[in-house]
Amino acid sequence: MSDHHDHAEEGSPLTETELRVRALESLLVEKGLVDPTALDALIDTYETKVGPRNGAHVVAHAWADPAYKVRLLEDGSKAIAELGYMGRQGEDMVVLENTPKVHNMVVCTLCSCYPWPVLGLPPVWYKSAPYRSRAVLDPRGVLRELGVEVPEDVEVRVWDSTSEVRYLVIPERPRGTEGWSEAELAGIVTRDSMIGVAKVQAPARGGRR
Amino acid sequence: MRRLLRAADVGQVLLKGGPARLPDDVVPRFKPGDRVVARNINSTGHTRLPRYARGKRGVVDRDYGVFVFADASAMGRGKQPQHLYSVRFAARELWGPEASARDVVFIDLWDDHLDPA
Repeated sequence: MSDHHDHAEEGSPLTETELRVRALESLLVEKGLVDPTALDALIDTYETKVGPRNGAHVVAHAWADPAYKVRLLEDGSKAIAELGYMGRQGEDMVVLENTPKVHNMVVCTLCSCYPWPVLGLPPVWYKSAPYRSRAVLDPRGVLRELGVEVPEDVEVRVWDSTSEVRYLVIPERPRGTEGWSEAELAGIVTRDSMIGVAKVQAPARGGRR
Repeated sequence: MRRLLRAADVGQVLLKGGPARLPDDVVPRFKPGDRVVARNINSTGHTRLPRYARGKRGVVDRDYGVFVFADASAMGRGKQPQHLYSVRFAARELWGPEASARDVVFIDLWDDHLDPA
């Protein structure tokens, strides 16, 4: 976060935010309200187990298996659970497909709602006030700044995550990936493409994994 | 009663999640295709109706089913089960004539956020 208060205080290597978090954590632990080993398990989960590779698996599977894509678009939660991804902040999933005529992008203007089981925890920019306000007001401008030029004849659909429903975008499968394995496809799907703020690029010839 | 999350339970708790969908049989006030207007409410508490949509006209796109009404539950007023919809608003309806004529914003709104238009 580009919060200008978020710098190291004089005499301390910790930022103001880090100091506040540590003070809160030690109070909660001392009062017996938080088990520090549970905290470690939570952090470990979202650092090493749950993240955008899960979503990339879902997208690659949908690209490779048209019947799965149909199920995914019909009932996101159920189809994603087929691959073992479910739970907190992904209880009710809706999947959106980007096509040559429709570009979907996801925002939470009220806070930072994000599909944890498939994408992990949201990046800082997703939670920032500029993204949250501008994504709905000027989606084409935001996309342009992020390197995506959406042609005038393409409809931009912005999804504001104001409820407990969570959204995942299936980006367009790039040309030149015909015949790729699911694992190879998953390797090129980025987090940002599944939020709808990036396109998936096929690596240049010879760059294939 | 104090509920303390133990390390051994973290995996199961995350997997189970905290569903907001309810099995209650509630009659929907709207159906996909219905024209609606978002109420001009100005809650001093919690609301999921974004300010930029208040008083704006849209079309119900999908009925997601029955959910906890977050505006009520966040204020300790119970679950007030009701239908949740994806409502489509034209960018020009929200932002005026300078917005793209093609673009749209989908907002998740509950029965109590909407009136027929």
